[in-house]
Amino acid sequence: MARRIWFVLSVLVAALMVAAACTPVPEAPAQPAASAAPQTVTLTWAFWGSPEEAASHKMVADAFMKAHPTIKIETWNEPWSDYFTKIQALWASNDPKAVPDIAFLWPTPKYAAEGVLENLDPYIQKSGYNLDDYWGGLLESARYKGSVYGLPRDIEVNVLYYNKDLFDKAGVKYPDETWTWDDLLAAAQKLTVKDASGKVTQYALAMEGGKYSKWVNQNGGAILDDYVNPSKCLLATPNSIAAVQFFADMMNKGYAMRDADLSQAGGDQAVFQSGQAAMIIQNTSRVSSFNAAKINYDVAVVPIPKGGKRWNPAGGAAWVMSAKSDNKDAAWTFLSWLQSKDGGQRLYTERGEIFPALKSVAESPVFMTNQPPANKKGIVDEAAASGVGGFGYFPEWGELDSSIISPAMQKIWAGEADPAQALPELCKRVDQFLKDKGYPKK
Amino acid sequence: MSQLSARAATRRNPFRWRPDQQWEAYLFILPSLIGFLVFVFIALVASLGISFMDWGLTGPRGVAGLDNYRELLRDPVFATTFRNTAFYIVTIVPLQLVLGLSMALALNQAIRGRDVFRVIYFLPVVTTIVAGAIVFRLLLGRNGPLADLFTALSSWLGAPFSFPDLLGSTRYSKWSVVLLTLWKNTGFTMVVYLAALQGVPKELYDAAHVDGATAWQRLRHVILPLISPTTFFLFLLQTIGAFQLFTEPFVMTRGGPAQSSMPVVHYIYDNAFLFTRMGKASAIAWFLFIFIFGFTLLQNIWQRRWVYYETE
Repeated sequence: MARRIWFVLSVLVAALMVAAACTPVPEAPAQPAASAAPQTVTLTWAFWGSPEEAASHKMVADAFMKAHPTIKIETWNEPWSDYFTKIQALWASNDPKAVPDIAFLWPTPKYAAEGVLENLDPYIQKSGYNLDDYWGGLLESARYKGSVYGLPRDIEVNVLYYNKDLFDKAGVKYPDETWTWDDLLAAAQKLTVKDASGKVTQYALAMEGGKYSKWVNQNGGAILDDYVNPSKCLLATPNSIAAVQFFADMMNKGYAMRDADLSQAGGDQAVFQSGQAAMIIQNTSRVSSFNAAKINYDVAVVPIPKGGKRWNPAGGAAWVMSAKSDNKDAAWTFLSWLQSKDGGQRLYTERGEIFPALKSVAESPVFMTNQPPANKKGIVDEAAASGVGGFGYFPEWGELDSSIISPAMQKIWAGEADPAQALPELCKRVDQFLKDKGYPKK
Repeated sequence: MSQLSARAATRRNPFRWRPDQQWEAYLFILPSLIGFLVFVFIALVASLGISFMDWGLTGPRGVAGLDNYRELLRDPVFATTFRNTAFYIVTIVPLQLVLGLSMALALNQAIRGRDVFRVIYFLPVVTTIVAGAIVFRLLLGRNGPLADLFTALSSWLGAPFSFPDLLGSTRYSKWSVVLLTLWKNTGFTMVVYLAALQGVPKELYDAAHVDGATAWQRLRHVILPLISPTTFFLFLLQTIGAFQLFTEPFVMTRGGPAQSSMPVVHYIYDNAFLFTRMGKASAIAWFLFIFIFGFTLLQNIWQRRWVYYETE
């Protein structure tokens, strides 16, 4: 008897486990293709971000659902560090029920090349959506083979933030649009504070090493000859080398924090708030934190070399539509609403979350508020100088940058390599990589 | 009557081995067998197939044949990461064995607070590695407490030493990873060695003592041969572990600066999830497997020369 009970129990448990493992995901009832009565459709919206950012997104979703009662938005979010791995897994599943209809994404061309994104050209044509309102070069970051695959939500505008208190203490005039690299160096010298042992206790500048393309392009240099279909590396040209040397010198002299030290210290936001750095060069995402911390600061355009030009890398994460979405028309309604002057763009800008991708929103009272920083014009001026040149728009760029270019640059930022020698060597490797991948493509 | 007693015996011993009822055993292991088949075995076989393809995010883009493997042979990043992994093996494995054994020998003595020390040394093993790596990053950084202490000490001594940039220079970043790994894993080595030391017969030890063997001779000629199977076991385990090193450098240095601390497994991750080149990632994984397998085989042959089993 006991044996029988054991047996029955074991079979039951095993069967339960197998059943649990094999239970199919319940299928949602099929949507009628065209129904007369307004039918509610549900869209899945994927994005990354901190709880605060997620709260903004949810607020935007609520505003949209209020205006469009027939479309329901469900959100899917993960922290930045897990987002890309997980969303790739969703796309890899090829299951229309699992893939998000609309997703926040970067870089767009890489995923477009994988075939998981919907070409937005037909929707743009059909609805007459205005692409001219985007900042110069910005849409390039969301194009693949000439077609638009995503609509960038914001644009990275890297401006110079400066701590007014530290400037006053050092007796340095505030930076303005007349500043050149020489002015920056002169100010840096006064703003750098060292203790008796020679250890820097206050840096003049904190800037991520990865933002070096700003200096290079300002100085008339370039990373590649063509950012969509490259044939060679241009980092070894005299203008590029001089620009990299300028940045490296700032670090070697102790004016600017070394890249590795900066990330160990918690990034530019942390060192600016703690007064460890008098200036940072970063995009506008820092504004809300600095305002909340009530720091006495303002922004300015980034100083340029004599005879150089103002330049900003045109790039920003974009909203994309999955090629496997089962509600593409509703998805486009949502997407175009997100990227409209009175829809998502206004809401995000109002909350201080973004510098808008649309020029009209940046020039409207929504952005030109009384909130700090006072110099809003500086941000708009820097944005107006946006163009290609910060990164490649071809699918293999990520591999090229993270496995070849960035490591070589890190050696320079660590003070272990001399730009005049390291950059020609780097270019040789970049050219070889491009050749191996079949660039330039016909 | 005999039937009854047989039944009674069954009832008394429900776990008796019955060759005719093996299928019940399979039923019992079925849940984990299915898990193994789906998540390990099939995935393994699939990755071998994928390594011969150009495989992107959603599936094959084409057949690559041996291209992925050929690319590895002239990929400088792969060479760098492979050298880094080799560095980790030749540093971490011996250091861990020596440190673990020393700690075990010390804590095998009747010293005061022995159990407390054992717990302290073992604590890192059960600590989350990510938390440990973050703490080490803060600790070793150029603006961290260790640097401050060092600077204060050297200025007090009047010595013109500056603190080495442990995480930010290509020269020391690997050593930071070694340090973290030792901190994390040596406790485990110690515990295994402690168990082995308990198994050394006291008579042998005393006999050597009576014969006038010094402490070093007792260690060299009595203890070390007797615990050599444990040493071999730990050696294998740690070598494989060092081949698979990933989390420590990933969290602490992101493999940087300039790939100076990036192990091979990190490069597999990059290829799979950053560059969406599953084919190349699989090829590296299989290359690594073949290497580990060959290494383990060699060690198995070599162990006959130095590992002593009592039963032989």
